[in-house]
Amino acid sequence: MGDSLTTGLLILHSLMAVALLGAITHQAIAVKSGPDTGKKSFGARYRAVDPSAYRGAIVLLFVASSVIGASLYPTYRMIVRPVLELDNLRVANGTFELKEHFAALGLLMLPAYWAAWSRPLAPEHTAARMGLTWVLAAIVWWNFLVGDVLNNIKGLFH
Amino acid sequence: MLVFSLAAAIGYTLAYYFNWSLLIYYPVVNELHLVRQGRADGFPIFYYGWVATAVVIGAVAACVTPRSWLKRLPLDLSWIVTIVMIVAALTYEKRWF
Repeated sequence: MGDSLTTGLLILHSLMAVALLGAITHQAIAVKSGPDTGKKSFGARYRAVDPSAYRGAIVLLFVASSVIGASLYPTYRMIVRPVLELDNLRVANGTFELKEHFAALGLLMLPAYWAAWSRPLAPEHTAARMGLTWVLAAIVWWNFLVGDVLNNIKGLFH
Repeated sequence: MLVFSLAAAIGYTLAYYFNWSLLIYYPVVNELHLVRQGRADGFPIFYYGWVATAVVIGAVAACVTPRSWLKRLPLDLSWIVTIVMIVAALTYEKRWF
């Protein structure tokens, strides 16, 4: 893969991750709070959205971000990981290994997530929707933070 | 969909624990293989193979699970099993920390 293509894909991967982070965080907070209470504060307005509206965007962004991430993975293994190993940055290496596993687990839980958020929303699946959304949100936050730190690791640790 | 997610998440964890990789990618030579190659091909990447193994396990489980069982499986299992698999990943990767 050429350098400019890698850079382009990395930027696209980051942009998708930002969009995904926003969507899943919004949904995770809205699913906890329920519908609009009529309050006008910023927090109340942030929570007062229909969380089911995010389902399609979240699935699409997660899949697209994972596919782009997977296509960049060989470059990471050939260029970034040897640097981490040379500098003995074992924790950084380990956090990326976890990012890999969490991305796969998140991807594989998407069918259940999709079913849980299917309309009309089944009242008996309220707890499952909350659990799935929060687990997915935790995965997305971890992967975003690890990706961001590793992307900047030369500046942070040299 | 629930059965797929459950079986695939467990399948993925088993796949990397026991290295059941359906495919092996060699990035240095840009080749995909079903079996491990010699050192001349550079280092292998098993990740795609583990995901492929998990997808196959999930798909097979979804196809063979009787419909009567599906109604008895609570959807909550999906996030509970994922958390268990996350803990398994943390345990497996603690060697780095």
